[in-house]
Amino acid sequence: MARLKTAYLALVFGFLYLPMVVLILYSFNPSKYGIRWAGFSLDWYRNLATDAGLIEAALNSLLVASLAASLACLVGTVGAIGLHRYRFRGRHWLQGLLLVTLMSPDMVMAVSLLVLFIALHIKLGFWSLLLSHTTFCLPFVTATVQSRLQGFDRYLIEAAQDLGACEWQAIRQVMLPLAMPAILAGWMLSFALSLDDVVVSFFVTGPAFDVLPLKIYSMVRMGVKPEVNALAALLFAASVVLVGGAQWILQRRPQ
Amino acid sequence: MRREILFLSIVCWLVFCPLAWSQENEIRLFNWSDYLPQEVLDRFTQETGIAVRTTTYDSNEAMYAKLKLLDGGGYDLAVPSTYFVDKLRQEGMLREIDKTRLQNFKNLDPRQLDKPFDPGNRYSIPYLWGTTGIAVNTDKFKLQDVQAWADLWKPMFRGRLLLPNDMRETFHIALMILGYPGNNTNPEQIRLAYELLKKLLPNIRLFTSDAIDVQFVTGEVDAGVAWNGVVYKARQEDPAIRYVYPREGVIVWMDNLIIPKNAPHAELAYKLIDFLLRPDMARLIAEKIGYASPNLAAVKLLPPALRDDPTVYPGDEVLSKGEYQTDIGSAITLYSEYWEKLKAE
Amino acid sequence: MLSATAANVFMPIQFNRRPRDAMRPAGFFKTFAIAPLAGWLLLFVLIPNALVLAASFLRRDESGFVELSLTLGNYRRLLDPVYLRVFAHSLVLACAATVLCLVLAYPFAYWLARLRSGLRPLLLTLVVVPFWTNSLVRVYAIRALLAAKGLMNNTLLVLGLIDEPIRLLYTPAAVLIGMVYVLLPFMILPLYNSIEKLDRRLVEAAADLGAGPWRRFIEVILPLTLPGIISGSLLVFMPALGLFFITDVLGGSRDLLLGNFLKDQFLDARDWPFGAAASMALIGLLGLFLAAYAFSLKRFSPGGEA
Repeated sequence: MARLKTAYLALVFGFLYLPMVVLILYSFNPSKYGIRWAGFSLDWYRNLATDAGLIEAALNSLLVASLAASLACLVGTVGAIGLHRYRFRGRHWLQGLLLVTLMSPDMVMAVSLLVLFIALHIKLGFWSLLLSHTTFCLPFVTATVQSRLQGFDRYLIEAAQDLGACEWQAIRQVMLPLAMPAILAGWMLSFALSLDDVVVSFFVTGPAFDVLPLKIYSMVRMGVKPEVNALAALLFAASVVLVGGAQWILQRRPQ
Repeated sequence: MRREILFLSIVCWLVFCPLAWSQENEIRLFNWSDYLPQEVLDRFTQETGIAVRTTTYDSNEAMYAKLKLLDGGGYDLAVPSTYFVDKLRQEGMLREIDKTRLQNFKNLDPRQLDKPFDPGNRYSIPYLWGTTGIAVNTDKFKLQDVQAWADLWKPMFRGRLLLPNDMRETFHIALMILGYPGNNTNPEQIRLAYELLKKLLPNIRLFTSDAIDVQFVTGEVDAGVAWNGVVYKARQEDPAIRYVYPREGVIVWMDNLIIPKNAPHAELAYKLIDFLLRPDMARLIAEKIGYASPNLAAVKLLPPALRDDPTVYPGDEVLSKGEYQTDIGSAITLYSEYWEKLKAE
Repeated sequence: MLSATAANVFMPIQFNRRPRDAMRPAGFFKTFAIAPLAGWLLLFVLIPNALVLAASFLRRDESGFVELSLTLGNYRRLLDPVYLRVFAHSLVLACAATVLCLVLAYPFAYWLARLRSGLRPLLLTLVVVPFWTNSLVRVYAIRALLAAKGLMNNTLLVLGLIDEPIRLLYTPAAVLIGMVYVLLPFMILPLYNSIEKLDRRLVEAAADLGAGPWRRFIEVILPLTLPGIISGSLLVFMPALGLFFITDVLGGSRDLLLGNFLKDQFLDARDWPFGAAASMALIGLLGLFLAAYAFSLKRFSPGGEA
């Protein structure tokens, strides 16, 4: 039985990793159609490094991702605190709306946002992209922070207020630090979601602002373009570094 | 710790932000995929210092939809086919082109100018022209088995064909087989074409307009409908891939450079158009891309092997049986509906 | 922790379970906290969807976007068997992908969670890495694998198992494989979280009471891990319905799925009202699924109230 378990685990890991490993191997193959193995070479990586459009798209993606994540964290954290602490009319409606946004398929969100921007005559480009990305990141941040807040001893706040803190101080110096891990986690999740987004970006971006996933999409549609192999290898390496780094940082930080 | 993070992030944003907004000296080109060699664009940037940013589309309809979304702005140059130039022109979405500013305009073949879709070439400049026919890998199928459009319906091609993701062309083929005009506005004839195409569906493996040559070269498909330039490129890698002019007649089209009415850098666009009309550049394009150039001066510079290649420069006999694509006005909605239904089957 | 966060997002938010607080004097901060969120959602979620709903009752305009004349024609057109088939096909494919992911992921998550080896954190990281790798790149990897001259065919040819390459690409099977490949980590992580929280003592108690392994699984483990199953299923099902790039790259536009259909209507055929109607129909369908989710929440809330 133990043998079966290990074999199954190995099989699934193999399934998850084999295609990527093959791609990485082929990224070093100078042959154009990747059919024959023609020796080891860094040609495609060189091509990538000189592709100014690609680099610009990557930087654009990073910019939008970090801005959207930050904006979503700002609005979302504050909102989560509000939802957690206060009772007000329409509280359930707001919670429901958040849930609906969370569950919304990318397509539906993309279509509705496109309709909005066209109706309001907002030019498609950086701003439409930023606003859209923030929108789909918001519910993730809010849910994450709310989840964490709910795990708390509510009396901490009351204790702080009994000791003379006003509302703002209580929130800033008690709730916020306690919620910080969730806020950070929400930021990272939003960042990743924004970087990875294809569907929404496809609908709402404009010609002035290229983002990496869309650039990859058009490269991928072009068939087996060897530069994509190299790019895939780099992105894979990036996620290994990111995940590994995040785990390492989180292990050093007291939970 | 938090303050340091905050400070670092602000610094990062300040570094990134200028990148998002420095876009004065560039041209935004909206083009078919793989339709302009990067080499030409690099030379242009080298000589003029103007960067060119290309976005691609895979069909005239997609290009049109995007231009509509951007209200005729966003892009400085686009490359629609003739019937779409007509449509865009009639809707007032094009900027008039002052030909006196194009030194190299004189290089163009007069026979390709002043056509009905744009009288006097006030709005468009011919870029490349070509035909749509049958492509076949003669290692897998015999050439004599695919001499007509109707041959594609044969059971031997079940699940094997590639067709471009092009609504008008697909219907054009069916209409030609039925003996009707390809630029059809008759609802009954269009419906019959749809019924005929439904019968072709089991033979179609995929619809795509991107990198068709790669599909043939990698052996993913061995037969189908393709543009002649695609076959020309594929043949360089695998000589077994051949182009056939179907018996019923071939579809002829031309793609043209246009400037959308609200183009942000229209002035710079003129420079690129003039550059592309230079004989040496037009020749480079023709050699790399494999379609026919309307630039007479460039054709004179071509190697004889290419100039006499019937795949790229068909004789008058073939062209006389060919049919040019023209605008069909509002009938296009009917085509659209049938097309969606075909894809959904 | 990152994986826990991602998975926890779908864990039921229990906002009805605590006794009512006394109203706290909050005033300014209260508005400041709620207003941005409420305003944002209103402007970017509620209003856009209302616009789409409105558009679905209008007529298409050939040279513009919509013509301001009311019609039910768009919905009537949706009832054409051809389009119903698109919906059905998409739902079936999404369900198939979800079930396949579930069947593959459950044993994996279970055995991973139970692994006593020190390798467990490393292995968990190895699961998270594909989760964070760009999904387009992963779809591309699958395409390269399944191509006529790709690794799969070459290996089978070399091993002499086949004479001609298997043309797997551009078939529904390829799309399914692609979906499972991309979405598998989304199923593994919530399941892992749920299984990890499982109180082993309950299982042991069942064993002490004489339940065999199968019965222990069906009546103790499965119900207790149901929240994870539901989260994972939602995280797989939703994208499976809408990620048009998977079908675009692997499906060859041969079979129209919902995601591609919507994209075509808005960015190609330009029939916005029709696309809007389809979008509304999709929302309606998903509303039904959400209702089922809410219902199952009530029935199977963790804590063993089932």
